[in-house]
Amino acid sequence: MKFQIPIGPQHPALKEPISLRMTVEGEVIRDVDIRLGYNHRGLEKLAEQRNWTQNIYLTERICGICSHSHTTCYVQGVEKLMEIEPPRRGVYIRYLVSELERIHSHLLWLGIAGHEAGFDSFFMYTWRDREVVMDLLEMISGNRVHYAMNTIGGVRRDVDTALIQKILDGIKILRERSEFYFKIGANEPTFVGRLAGVGYLSKENALALCAVGPTARASGVARDVRKNDPHAFYDEMPFDLITADSCDVLGRTVVRIKELMESYKICEHLLKTLPSGDIAVKAPKKAKPNEFVSRYEAPRGENIHYIKSNGTDKPERLKVRAPTLANYPATIEMLRNGFIADIPLIFAAIDPCICCAERTVELVNARSGEESVVRFSDLRTLAAKRASNRTAKGNVPWPL
Amino acid sequence: MNDEQILEIINTRFAGRVRDVSHPHARRIFFAADPKDLPAVIAGLKEAVPGMWYIATISGVDLGETFEIVYHFGHDNGAVNIKTRVPKAAPHIESITSIIPGAVLYERELQDMFGMTIERIPDPRPLITPEDWPAGNFPLRKDWTFERVPEVIPGGKK
Repeated sequence: MKFQIPIGPQHPALKEPISLRMTVEGEVIRDVDIRLGYNHRGLEKLAEQRNWTQNIYLTERICGICSHSHTTCYVQGVEKLMEIEPPRRGVYIRYLVSELERIHSHLLWLGIAGHEAGFDSFFMYTWRDREVVMDLLEMISGNRVHYAMNTIGGVRRDVDTALIQKILDGIKILRERSEFYFKIGANEPTFVGRLAGVGYLSKENALALCAVGPTARASGVARDVRKNDPHAFYDEMPFDLITADSCDVLGRTVVRIKELMESYKICEHLLKTLPSGDIAVKAPKKAKPNEFVSRYEAPRGENIHYIKSNGTDKPERLKVRAPTLANYPATIEMLRNGFIADIPLIFAAIDPCICCAERTVELVNARSGEESVVRFSDLRTLAAKRASNRTAKGNVPWPL
Repeated sequence: MNDEQILEIINTRFAGRVRDVSHPHARRIFFAADPKDLPAVIAGLKEAVPGMWYIATISGVDLGETFEIVYHFGHDNGAVNIKTRVPKAAPHIESITSIIPGAVLYERELQDMFGMTIERIPDPRPLITPEDWPAGNFPLRKDWTFERVPEVIPGGKK
């Protein structure tokens, strides 16, 4: 006797709207159907009506966790289309924020894995330590989530010596804590017992279903854009590609903790070899008719933007493929023949970001919910006032 | 396998079936093929380029009278992008899911967003658009514009 149970679009196990329809036989899942679209707001269409600079802010709002990934992917493509080369210091700061973002995303995921496995103290520990990296990101960019660091031709904010020291100190703490998590993740019997063997995805299936990111790497597929298709300077960075052969949720946990270590290594290397000079160059308003395929390794896997220009100040086409979408076919395979009780764990293990996959514009209401209309000139005055009061001044004049 | 080796495979093994082979940036190869040759070319390349050959995504572009479909493939040393064109009046294309099963979501997205018909797709249901989406509305076509339905408040606005 087969039953169908719907999970979502609104369900306590899911943080974002998606509909999973499970066909079950007793406790065992026999088939899964995923229905998307609850979060789709037509970003690709919107991008065609905005100019190159406005689209940075649009792509930033594709996702609330990997916001920097999308802008970096977009900006590095547009720079190629406009045939400009960002200064080396700007590029270093851009990818420093990328790696810090990977650290915060992986720590967030570790917490969720602990929570879904019923190990809530692990969740609280990791999220407490995640605050360290969130504070660092706030010190660098002024924001905790939407960093707004990228601009076409470089980055918008510089780092000074005091800040570099703070980042290095923060990374030292995080490294110690991550070693502790690795010990727990690999040795704590209850945690390992809950995760091992759950959500099996064979290497053959991971290859056939085109899985990306830690999901693919935990199934023994050495797939990482930073190694396979090194954007910017990743070919000269000292880091290893992490894979695991256990093909289950435990493997995905181990891969992510080990990747944290690699990200610390990259951050330290970046800060120690940070070149001096400008952080941005002036970008033209228009781009010649051309096309570029921009790939970037986001915390969840490969992020790909196909950007086509037509000679105007607006893109002809901007296609965004976020890593979560690529992992859905693999998720169906992982859930099949699993148990109902494992659904949250397996689904959380791909680190799903539904608003990424559906390319929405996510607008969070202000706390008061009050609406107010501010003129653009007032905003500019406010921004100028705020900048003049800032304690840590960037040592490079804003070039644009 | 580096760019030169892949370019050589494309130019020798698929001569006559591919055109406009270009190599604009390091690790980026573009070429075009006819829709009828596409499955054979993709299957042949998948066999010839060993390692982690996979589909990254499929982009549709509305060019006015025709649709351009760009298949983005990743391999262990870069990306290969295959373009093909179908007329807007009869946008039919063969599914490649028999060669690469992971392509199904992107093909469903093409159906939803551009109104293309993917032949022999294993799962033709809409992916993104809701069940009550009006027929014949394909948002990413250039001639489609969104008009907000005027809000009607029962009893009138006070």
